[in-house]
Amino acid sequence: MNRNGCYTRRHFLAQSGFGLSSLGALWLLQQEKLLGKPVDLVPQHFDTLPKVPPFQPRARAMISMFMQGGPSQIDLFDPKPELDKRNGQKFTGEIKFDDAANASTKLMASPWRFKKHGQSGIEVSELLPYFSQIVDDVTLIRGMQTGVSNHDQSINAMQTGGILGGRPTAGSWLTYALGSESQELPAYVALTDPRGLPVRGVGNWSQGWLPSLYQGTAVRSAEPRMANLDPAPHLRGAAQSQYLDFLGELNRAHLARHPAESDLEARISSYALAGRLQVAAKEALDIRGESEATRKMYGVDDPESGEFATRCLIARRLIERGVRFVQLFTGNQTWDHHKGIFKGLPSACKYVDRGAAALVMDLKERGLLDSTVVHWGGEMGRLPVIEYDGGRDVVGRDHNTYGFSMWLAGGGFKAGVVHGETDEFGHRAVKDIVTHHDYHATLLHLFGFDHAKLTFQRNGSAMALTDNKEARVVSEILT
Amino acid sequence: MPPRIAFPTRRIFHRTPAALLCAVLGVAASAQGAGATALAGANAGAVAAKAPDQTLTFERDIRPLFKHHCVHCHGEGEKLKGGLDMRLRRFLVEPHGDGGDVAIVAGKPAESQMLRLVREGEMPPKGKKLTSEEVGLLERWIAQGAPTARPEPAEVPKVYITEEEREFWVFQPIRKVTLPLAERAGELPNPVDRFVVRELERRNLSLNPEASRSVLLRRVTLDLTGLPPSAEEIAAFEADTAPDAYTRLVERLLASPHYGERWGRHWLDLAGYSDSDGYSEADPLRAWAFQYRDYVIRSLNADKPLDRFIQEQLAGDEMVPLPHKNLGPDAVDKLAATGFLRMVPDGTAGVASAEQVTARNAVVGETLKVVSTTLLGLSVGCAQCHDHKHDPIAQRDYYQMRAIFEPGFDTVNWRVPANRLVSLMSDAERAASEAVEAEAKVIDARRKAREEELIELVLGWELAKRPEDLREPLRAAYRMPVKERKPEQVKLLKEHPTVNQLSPGSLYLYDTTYKTKHADELKAIAEEAAAVRKRKPQEQFVAVFNEAPASVKTPPKTAVFHRGDPKNPKDVVGPAELTVLASFQKGEFGAAPAGADPAARASLHRRLDYARHLTSGQHPLLTRVLVNRVWAHHFGRGIVGTPSDFGRMGDRPSHPELLDWLANALVEKGWSLKEMHRLLVNSNVYKQTSTRSAEKDAADPDNLLLGRMPVRRMDAEMLRDSMLVASGLLNRTMFGAPIPVMKDVDGQVILGIDTNDGSGRPTGKFVSLEGGEFRRSVYVQMRRTRPLGMLETFDFPKMEPNCEGRAASTVAPQSLALMNSEFALSQATAFADRLRAECGSDAAAVVRRAWKLAFAADPAEEEVKKGVEFLQKQTATLKAAEASGTKLLRPVMRQPTGPSAVKPEPSTPEHAALATFCQALMSANAFLYID
Repeated sequence: MNRNGCYTRRHFLAQSGFGLSSLGALWLLQQEKLLGKPVDLVPQHFDTLPKVPPFQPRARAMISMFMQGGPSQIDLFDPKPELDKRNGQKFTGEIKFDDAANASTKLMASPWRFKKHGQSGIEVSELLPYFSQIVDDVTLIRGMQTGVSNHDQSINAMQTGGILGGRPTAGSWLTYALGSESQELPAYVALTDPRGLPVRGVGNWSQGWLPSLYQGTAVRSAEPRMANLDPAPHLRGAAQSQYLDFLGELNRAHLARHPAESDLEARISSYALAGRLQVAAKEALDIRGESEATRKMYGVDDPESGEFATRCLIARRLIERGVRFVQLFTGNQTWDHHKGIFKGLPSACKYVDRGAAALVMDLKERGLLDSTVVHWGGEMGRLPVIEYDGGRDVVGRDHNTYGFSMWLAGGGFKAGVVHGETDEFGHRAVKDIVTHHDYHATLLHLFGFDHAKLTFQRNGSAMALTDNKEARVVSEILT
Repeated sequence: MPPRIAFPTRRIFHRTPAALLCAVLGVAASAQGAGATALAGANAGAVAAKAPDQTLTFERDIRPLFKHHCVHCHGEGEKLKGGLDMRLRRFLVEPHGDGGDVAIVAGKPAESQMLRLVREGEMPPKGKKLTSEEVGLLERWIAQGAPTARPEPAEVPKVYITEEEREFWVFQPIRKVTLPLAERAGELPNPVDRFVVRELERRNLSLNPEASRSVLLRRVTLDLTGLPPSAEEIAAFEADTAPDAYTRLVERLLASPHYGERWGRHWLDLAGYSDSDGYSEADPLRAWAFQYRDYVIRSLNADKPLDRFIQEQLAGDEMVPLPHKNLGPDAVDKLAATGFLRMVPDGTAGVASAEQVTARNAVVGETLKVVSTTLLGLSVGCAQCHDHKHDPIAQRDYYQMRAIFEPGFDTVNWRVPANRLVSLMSDAERAASEAVEAEAKVIDARRKAREEELIELVLGWELAKRPEDLREPLRAAYRMPVKERKPEQVKLLKEHPTVNQLSPGSLYLYDTTYKTKHADELKAIAEEAAAVRKRKPQEQFVAVFNEAPASVKTPPKTAVFHRGDPKNPKDVVGPAELTVLASFQKGEFGAAPAGADPAARASLHRRLDYARHLTSGQHPLLTRVLVNRVWAHHFGRGIVGTPSDFGRMGDRPSHPELLDWLANALVEKGWSLKEMHRLLVNSNVYKQTSTRSAEKDAADPDNLLLGRMPVRRMDAEMLRDSMLVASGLLNRTMFGAPIPVMKDVDGQVILGIDTNDGSGRPTGKFVSLEGGEFRRSVYVQMRRTRPLGMLETFDFPKMEPNCEGRAASTVAPQSLALMNSEFALSQATAFADRLRAECGSDAAAVVRRAWKLAFAADPAEEEVKKGVEFLQKQTATLKAAEASGTKLLRPVMRQPTGPSAVKPEPSTPEHAALATFCQALMSANAFLYID
């Protein structure tokens, strides 16, 4: 048995931590196919061992802060003097409302002031005082566009490259392509917001049709933090060690009755490895060892921003320990300010601004920024017109997937540049448009891959993150 | 006759670049496991070192090389590369191409251009080069004058098979074998033992002694039912001291309904059983697939003869007269059986029309793969794009086989999965259902009318907000059918989006604006209609593979697809067996009976004829493949080590005569699978211990001769089910709709009813599975994209399209699952509850009982002592933890809405300590492995 189809990798795999699933093909195989070489392969299996990309990579890890809901570019990143001038006037252009019942065509200028910052002089809203301090380290994209309706589809586009659910996320693709530099920690970590899951829920870290090995591992803010990796609270420490000691005794006695059964020995050592994985995870998530200066920089004790900042700090610790891809989430519709934007947007900004900026500064100080892509952005932006036209406490902005902003830092992105423009109202991207496909192609390029060639064979087709759609590497924003 | 034990070739996968997935077996690796050399044997497939003076022939020695490396370009295609055809020897010495070169000069290697090209690596231009051994072989053959075994045919036949290829063992009739060791029949009454012992004794080896009763009890119970012996079964067996206690135990197990669940699961792996369509991202549910699962379980429990079992699965629809209405149980069974041909991924309901050709042909190709690997043990699928590189299966053969199934598929008049369902509703039930529907429609109409009223109401409110002079023009514009609106009306509406976009679909959005509850009101009416519809008799369906009347009237043609490309059809072919097996075929598949009116036929009978041919008892592959699989499940390895590949690249049988004897025995015993089990599990081979010895390991490191039983790890389902038996929670309900799976808040796949909203966010609702969560794993929903976490961790396979053999990996996530998963913790706690209820607080009694339930054995006194010590120590530790503020809580199975949905109850240090003891037993190797 085990000699056909689904293979046994017994002994040696007991040495490698998260090696699981046993079916399928490595992307290298696909590469060779493209060269037309018939490849004789050892039985296909997948793992998360580190792999070398075909081209010289710029980045080796990525931290993405996914601002689900759609941060208002007009109020944060994309100042529009023309909009200020025409505040309250009718907008006459084409516009698509997702919430028609409460729509209006009345233009609304941003109530917040913009100021130039840093040497680059990038204009940023007063709502982001910490981000203002790192503008010289980022590429600010003002011409993002997915052009699809509503949250679900646009999240799918940004996270997975296609608008339908069920595809692998960018994080899954990266771990599929590159494995991880740590075999003691999951290759791909999703740091969830204790306040709740974003729209699309667990689909945000799903491996879709890639082998399940490449699913993101969710790390909760409260214990047990990782399913199966954290002991139940009452078994932590001595109780579990005693259990493992007793189990070890049982297994050694059993092995003595079955001499030379190497599988039994491998199983014994897999418990030892499991124990090491638990220790490694616990250590990586424990920020108590961080210096006072670092804790201060992130503001981990700040009641308003400390939770997110702590996750930013954990993200850095994970990347330092070899994790390939970490994504931080904000809770369900944190940025979906249809209504009450005057209150809602400042509070959402406060929640994330300090931690996000500290993360970039910290990575830079530690010399990790050059090799780590940092991303901050959501699935959409917002319209320049008022939604819920009922006064200051009520007004908000509806969805806009035709023109929005996000920022990137490190890993080969230029520092202190703005790329792309929206129209005079901040509505549609009109210059240097970057689609979700372009964004993904650019990411893969930085990690050493041609987006069209990093594929997975499924139903007889080569599937890609960019969904076999037109996609270009935005080389203008790369160093 | 020298012993014919041959040795496994190591299989190396190789994927062709063709769009159609085709796993071709590569050449044998040169590095054999060190152990295999201990027993001499021919290494098939590879270029065996042939004695230098041996006369080589084109057919035996050279053609296989060419088939592997050259013929794809030089012979198979429509155009010959360079004008050279390498299918016959004589073409090699004739001038070819524009230059009029000759490939070889017989007797003169130095003048043979081809030899130079392959030696220098110029040929083949792509792919694997010839090894130096292969080049040497070619050189020697040319030097010997390039002989053939016999005169070559005048023309290359469409399917050219040489005698050497026909002589390959699997294509030979099954031999009548005389039982060996006749003189020892008294000592070795079981025929199986006589074959195995003879081979062992030839190497001065013998069987291990018989295993202890407790080992046998656990081994055979798990093997036949997939469940460990229950407390009652252990007690019954222990009390039975009669000499035939074991034999009667086997009978009890074979009569158990759990037998069909276990052995049915083996068959479901081959069929690629899935409760979802796969293919697309959505992976839609296949709601009625379970009817096939239940058919398989019922059939095996009833010991349905395997010939009938296979006939029904290939052609059950052809055995039930039309129309398929008001069906009785036997007819339903036969239709459900064809679910075998409906198991592969089918994305045709969802893909765009441009992708339909690919998607439909994928369904056909995958189904043929399931059929051929399951029933023929050959990788026929490799011949989809080109002639098989190693086995005598021509591309044409593949399409002849496809033609057997073509009318049921009919890729031109395709039917999506939903259109292949047959209703089990009787005419009377249908009439009752229609009456209820009429009632519900009245409510639907009321809802529609109310919706209209509400839209008018909201429209009025919206208009009232506008200046008076705008109201009428706006109303007129809104009420004007979209296509008839004048440009100024369109413009006006655009300026008033809240009017423009008012519609039944957006009505709910206005509830916020006007503080109304219109959406709720409409929903209530819809629920009223739904409640009425609930009174309808439940309509059940079976997914059936059958032939649509139009496909019977005008049978779809089957063409050979050039390079496997369905958009490039060539020669049309009819239904037939593989050419190499043609002599076993009696009559044409689907030939109309003499005098019958072909137009009056309900189906084309190709499949039924084919099924009867396969199950005639004469077919050289089917019975060998079947008994080999049964053997493999009992003994951990098949007599042929590659149960789905009996071809050249597969293994040769370790006991060829035994294989044929068993194949004949299957037919003689009326195709009874249970008879086969009786024969195998009552043998001394099966009952021996699993203990290794240095002597046997040195002589037979892979245990091919079965001088001991192998130690095997439980597969995923067996492990989960065994934990449920030990804990006492197993719900033994059989059959029916699968227990649903869903993703929890972390994205792990658990059992549960998904109450997330449309965007995947938890709603906080919880729907109980009412004990369904404790049913056997075979009843868990097998959704292709969502394998249950606990099963997947232990190598539950992906069905793409099926699984021909399980892996048994040993990886850390398995240990973590047993250490920390909620499933393991909750089962351990239930196990502790049970022990407490059965044994009270007597620690030694608890340990003894736990041992027996977990391992079906009694602990040694030393083990009891250690167990009691562990309980004391662990209790003290947990007491201290509790004293320092740690709450001791009973674990709860994770709930769909997050861990807080069910409040965990408090535990005590004693109970929590006992639970960790139980957990240690359930995660011990003695539990995970079968001795």
